[in-house]
Amino acid sequence: MRGDDDMRMRNIARHLHGPVPVSSSVDDRVMAAVRGMPRHRFGFWSRLTTPRTVTVTPLSWGLLAASLVVFAGIGVVREYQVLDVAAKPIASALFHQPPRLVHARPVQFVLVAPGAKKVAVAGDFNGWDPTHAAYQAKQRGGGVWSVTAPVPPGHHRYSFVVDDSVWVADPTAPRVMDNDYGMPNSAIVVEDDK
Amino acid sequence: MNARGRALLALMLFAPAAGAQDVRLASRLDKPTFAAVNAIIDSARHAKLPTAPLVDKALEGAAKGSDGEKIVTAVHQLSIRMSSARRVLGARATADEIKTAAGALDAGISQRDLARIRAAAGNGPVTMPLAVVMDLIGRSVPVATATALVVQLERAGVKDSDLAIYQRNVRSDIDRGADPSIAARTRARGLVLRAAAPPARPTE
Repeated sequence: MRGDDDMRMRNIARHLHGPVPVSSSVDDRVMAAVRGMPRHRFGFWSRLTTPRTVTVTPLSWGLLAASLVVFAGIGVVREYQVLDVAAKPIASALFHQPPRLVHARPVQFVLVAPGAKKVAVAGDFNGWDPTHAAYQAKQRGGGVWSVTAPVPPGHHRYSFVVDDSVWVADPTAPRVMDNDYGMPNSAIVVEDDK
Repeated sequence: MNARGRALLALMLFAPAAGAQDVRLASRLDKPTFAAVNAIIDSARHAKLPTAPLVDKALEGAAKGSDGEKIVTAVHQLSIRMSSARRVLGARATADEIKTAAGALDAGISQRDLARIRAAAGNGPVTMPLAVVMDLIGRSVPVATATALVVQLERAGVKDSDLAIYQRNVRSDIDRGADPSIAARTRARGLVLRAAAPPARPTE
């Protein structure tokens, strides 16, 4: 009995493993359908050139418009220059530091002022602004005040401002013969990296 | 975009090149001073002079609490000196060279001496040589001596970095009590000799 069953199973398996007869036109029809499908292209250029539908929300348009306004504003207030007085706050907000400090090099300024409560550096590299945050000296002890701040390459004039009112030339730097405002200035030459 | 929008965009894009004003000046100067300084700056811009030094000069005056008249005078004088400097240095002079040369003229260097320094420097920048001259003058070296020494150093082909060392050495000598002219001459002689000497060969 067992031998008959095995024989029957082998016949069934042989039958199932055999080729399935199909119409000779099936291959042609399948290949025609494949060739008719759009070609799948790869690569960055293909992605750029392939047309696609993009859905944009009103919020996206708002962000795009805001970006354009900011970049146009940068063009207007370049180098702190603005035509419209109403844009001043924007200019100040965008350029807290002059753009030419981009290539600046760190320079250490040191002043010995034992009795001082506040020491800052003002010069043509920071718009002669003694309140500029980057140029506020810190007390290092023993009456020594120092700050390391960015200065662009070139010849510059500067001064220390003690207690917001007294202008003091740097005793370690060359003085500039500049008596336009009756107060001494010091000079510094910052060499370019090039 | 409608016509109004296009006009606004053009104004925003081209305003900086068309006689724009500096926001810092507007906030730190009174109205009459601001107007006068702006007129000088506009003239300088039309003359193709650098305007940043003029803005800085006005800002310096405002920071130091000077009155408007003094500020306008200082800015005007600087524009005249920069114009003279540019005439001597030539059209290819950089903004920094013009600014430094204007300072040198203010320090007492003549236009003739400025031209000598320009010629001695060849095609190189004159910012550092002029800074050294001004430093020497500021340290009581006579103008003629300071100019002659720097011309000599430039002709010997001394580099800017060596000029900076020279400046520091002279300053150090003077601080220790040396006579300024003698210190400047002595240090210059050493630098010229070193520049003229053949480069030392490494010993094996």
